[in-house]
Amino acid sequence: MSAPALPAPVNVSPLIRFGRWGLLSAGILYGMFHQNRLSKKETAFREIEGKQKVIRDAQLAAEKKLASEREMKNLEDMMTTKK
Amino acid sequence: MSAGKLDQLWVVAKPKLLLFLKYAKVELVPPSPLDIPKIMKDVSAGIKSFKSGSWKETPVREAWLNTLVTVEVFCWFYVGECIGKRHIVGYDV
Repeated sequence: MSAPALPAPVNVSPLIRFGRWGLLSAGILYGMFHQNRLSKKETAFREIEGKQKVIRDAQLAAEKKLASEREMKNLEDMMTTKK
Repeated sequence: MSAGKLDQLWVVAKPKLLLFLKYAKVELVPPSPLDIPKIMKDVSAGIKSFKSGSWKETPVREAWLNTLVTVEVFCWFYVGECIGKRHIVGYDV
């Protein structure tokens, strides 16, 4: 690790430093702002989805019931006509 | 128990941290208001060289270094965005 005399620190141009720190803070602000906006949209969407889920579940249950009843009827018909 | 380990870690890390700080104080320090005139001078020099067409006469090596530094500076925006959204890839909604 004993490296021979490490180079002196470079005087980075202020424009570059300004660009780096400026874009870093701009990025942080943009990230927070965008995250806020998107999470609001998502909570609103989740509410709508929740309501629709209840309706959709009821529909699916009704359809399933109908389908299973039809199946039972078919099976009974097959049993009775085969005789 | 863990206090001893922490002390050991501090003993090893301290010189390296000091070395980092020595460079960071010169290279990474955010620009102070005193630097504003120099920044504006640099920007106007850049614009002037763009308008007068003398940017075509920069050596390829310098142009390449300028490109790399510009790309690096813009990448810090995305680092900041990751920090702002508190998630590495994509948004956590």
